[in-house]
Amino acid sequence: MYKKLAPVLATLTAAALFTSACSSSGDKSDDAATSTEKVALTYWSWAPNMDKVVEGWNSTHPNIQVTVNKQDGGDPAVTKLLTAIKAGSGAPDVMQAEYQKIPTLVSADALADIGKEAGSLKDKFPAAAWNAVTLGSEAVYGVPQDSGPLMFFYRSDIFEKNKLQAPKTWDDYAAAAATIHKANPKQYLGTFSASDAGLFAGLAQQAGASWWGVNGDSWTVNINDAATQKVAGYWGGLVEKGVIDNKPMYTPEWNAALNDGTQVGWVSAVWAPGVLEGSAKDTKGKWKAAAMPQWDAAGPATGNWGGSATSVTSQSKHPKQAAEFVAWLNSDPAALKLLAGTANVYPAANDATSVLTTPPAFFADQADFYTIAAEAAKVTKPFTYGPNVNVAYSAFNDAFGKAAESKKAAAFTESLVTMQKATVDDMKNSGFTVAG
Amino acid sequence: MTLTTTRPSSTAAPVARKPAPSRRARVPYAFLAPGLLLFTLFLAAPIVYAGYLSLRKVKVSGLGLGSKSRTEVWAGLSNYTRSMTDPEWLPSVYRILGYGLVVVPAMLGLALLMALLLDAGRTRPGFSGFARISIFLPYAVPAVVASLLWGFLYLPRVSPFVYTLDKLGIHAPELLSSSWVLYAVANVAVWGGTGFNMIVLYTALRAVPTSLYESARIDGASELAIAWRIKIPIVLPSLIMTFVFSMIATLQVFAEPMTLKPLSNTISFTWTPLMKVYRDAFVRNDIYAAAATSVVIAVATFVLSFGFLKLVGRRAFNQEES
Amino acid sequence: MRTSKTATTLLLLGAAYCLFPVIWVLIASSKSSGELFSTFTLAPSTHLFDNLADLSGYRDGLYWRWMANTALYAGVGAAVSTFISAMSGYALAKFEFPGKGFVFNVILAGVLVPGVILAIPQYLLLAKVGLTNTYWAVLLPSFISPYGIYLARIFAAAAVPGEILEASRIDGAGDWRTFARVVLPMMRTGLVTVFLFQFVAIWNNFMLPYIMLGNDKLYPLTVGLNGLLNQGASQPSMYTAVVTGALVSIIPLIALFLTLQRYWQVDLAAGGVKA
Repeated sequence: MYKKLAPVLATLTAAALFTSACSSSGDKSDDAATSTEKVALTYWSWAPNMDKVVEGWNSTHPNIQVTVNKQDGGDPAVTKLLTAIKAGSGAPDVMQAEYQKIPTLVSADALADIGKEAGSLKDKFPAAAWNAVTLGSEAVYGVPQDSGPLMFFYRSDIFEKNKLQAPKTWDDYAAAAATIHKANPKQYLGTFSASDAGLFAGLAQQAGASWWGVNGDSWTVNINDAATQKVAGYWGGLVEKGVIDNKPMYTPEWNAALNDGTQVGWVSAVWAPGVLEGSAKDTKGKWKAAAMPQWDAAGPATGNWGGSATSVTSQSKHPKQAAEFVAWLNSDPAALKLLAGTANVYPAANDATSVLTTPPAFFADQADFYTIAAEAAKVTKPFTYGPNVNVAYSAFNDAFGKAAESKKAAAFTESLVTMQKATVDDMKNSGFTVAG
Repeated sequence: MTLTTTRPSSTAAPVARKPAPSRRARVPYAFLAPGLLLFTLFLAAPIVYAGYLSLRKVKVSGLGLGSKSRTEVWAGLSNYTRSMTDPEWLPSVYRILGYGLVVVPAMLGLALLMALLLDAGRTRPGFSGFARISIFLPYAVPAVVASLLWGFLYLPRVSPFVYTLDKLGIHAPELLSSSWVLYAVANVAVWGGTGFNMIVLYTALRAVPTSLYESARIDGASELAIAWRIKIPIVLPSLIMTFVFSMIATLQVFAEPMTLKPLSNTISFTWTPLMKVYRDAFVRNDIYAAAATSVVIAVATFVLSFGFLKLVGRRAFNQEES
Repeated sequence: MRTSKTATTLLLLGAAYCLFPVIWVLIASSKSSGELFSTFTLAPSTHLFDNLADLSGYRDGLYWRWMANTALYAGVGAAVSTFISAMSGYALAKFEFPGKGFVFNVILAGVLVPGVILAIPQYLLLAKVGLTNTYWAVLLPSFISPYGIYLARIFAAAAVPGEILEASRIDGAGDWRTFARVVLPMMRTGLVTVFLFQFVAIWNNFMLPYIMLGNDKLYPLTVGLNGLLNQGASQPSMYTAVVTGALVSIIPLIALFLTLQRYWQVDLAAGGVKA
């Protein structure tokens, strides 16, 4: 038993003792790839049924076979990728990357520039999505896969009972929340979830914030700006009044509340039907989707929650073939159909409207579901992510967790000071040039 | 820090007493070789590497978006100062001490009580076998799964406790609110750890010759008195070892609060020192700061556990070879 | 001897406390996904077999692959680790040699190091030889258990009399032969205990495989179940699958406890296993 191990151990010893940075850089010369060469690619993704989508590619491309490795969602996948990049090996060829993580990944030199292969796809995507994969530069760090425009979901039966309309403005939302909670003290129109920084960023985006920015050769950080303060103060006020709940989402408690009708609304994104179907099965047919409540009803806007691109990693030995696959996956009509129908994502490509004709099963009665979504996608405000989104987001979790627990509106706005400071300190410590 | 070599050896001596030829001298090293090799590769090397990383940092130039804008440089002790001056560091250390004061006595007290009850043999045999297996059962449940199960039992809308109290007209406290969350996490640890410690103590009790307390029993001493005056003093070395291992586990508490974290607003990323390591390494992708905090935690653990053993007179370790 | 009502009651209370969450899982895994969040927590339902079928059907039976992986990691890892622990423990208990105290203290210090701290450096080192994301990435680090060596040393000290070693040597048996033919059988009971400890430790390990593996076909149960729970914001957590999976995942260990009950006896201080 131990003898058989000897060769392995010997290799290990040699390698560990002489920790030379012998990271194989890989043969990246483009001409190495001829059309007859057989190539195997690995693809990390957390979208459900992605392997079935990829079958559509594998069956028609015998020389470029892609294997999907399902991941546990965006954060763990990025952590693993960054560790692999640091180690010099272990990264997949292709990687699903949330838009907000792209600057982090580019900054860590984890993504390959596929401008040569995918640059021509620019016109097939909304400008905001394309900007998210180019970071405003000439390079292309991925092809947009799905987007998550914010929408509002509510229990139409409860709204009818309380003689309410879907809220057009945030004032309407506040009034509806008060009415519902007053009529039934156990019911809430929503909850402020301190564990979902992505949603809060989307709400700030809707109000006109852009937490990071590039100004010449330096970064700017504006987490504590007027727009975000307005959003934080608004939700803090609702929590302080007690008309919405202060518990995190995505817990068994929240599932039970959705199911038993004590959570009767959800500010979420276009992918919400899938979550509601899994979390609140008993309430099928009672929900309706609407456009987001607005700060300014005359100038409708929305933000994003979720959404991701497909990127080629810098460790891929076959970047050309990988880029070919990525382009197909996110722009070929057949692939878009599979993405929408099988993997349950809302494709970012402009062509997606043609494949999204029937509403999602959980909203079967609402024929205009995807029309509302398309309208929302059109008014998504621009937002720039920085290279340390995770620092800002984890600071959000801690600071807003405390604030939500205290139920004080003032604590919500003060939390932004903490977030801003944590984010700027971290960037300065790493050596980023930060203005101001 | 030597625990074994500073005292005269007793039973192990006969083997070594003979003047050994040089080939014989190599024998123990040969037996140790595979263990030491693996230890070096998978424990020592990573620790040394962590120490190295704790003195490094990444330096970004400008916007940090170009492909070669990131370099690793020496950081001196800046990762350490940054970790130790983090405003969340001291509160997490105090929290862990308070947590230890709850978990260790509760867990060992419960384990000792159950072990004594089993050893006293005052229950029907079927019962004690059932109880022993039941109490040991949580050891089979990974901490991640255990925390998930207890999470379900804590959350008001899905908890049977809250439901029952509600029906009785009692307003149940929110177990994951800031005033209760420490005990909620502690309970998961006590639940998971009692069985193991009970088995250790029970084994030690079984090793006590009954003759030692038969006479006391005949003299009419109560079971309680026998337990207190005879049994507990005899199993004290085992109790000390379980204490040390429980203390280490307490300092390293991680999986339970990490799993319960998304369920509440009250558990922050820096709730315990090891969670801070996790946050720096896995959430913020700053393995350098994580390495510095790791080194501090490792040193503190060594000092505390070896210091404690020294304090109790190496009693536990001296026993094992006699 | 008289039985005492107080003693019985206290023990049964302790048992109830420890069993309660396990009973809860059993009940919860009998519920459909709707019922899990709508009916009273302790009201059982009839969907256990549906849930098991769903779990088995998840991505072509991936759950059972996780179960097989876990058995492989825990079985092979614990076997090799026990053997290595036995050799090291025997050397530390039965020989005097320069550096012995140092070696023992270093190994004891190894007991104290938390896995979270080791995970990333271990990954970076294994990545240098290209072994991450393979079975070896999880197996190799679990071959070494300082705690196992510590226990094996106690068992060797207590169970192997020096005179027998002498006798074996006088008979002309080599050191290896003595170890294999005399020492190992004498330590057997203790080594089963070491094996069981390491088996449970690997079975329940989360951090190491979580970091090392990117391919979900190599996952052990803990990492797989965690993935079902954390699907990212745009997917609902698969609570029914997680709860059912958690129940099934502890059954093998319960079986192990029941069949090998007599080996679950360890004295940390006074030495030896009383079988």
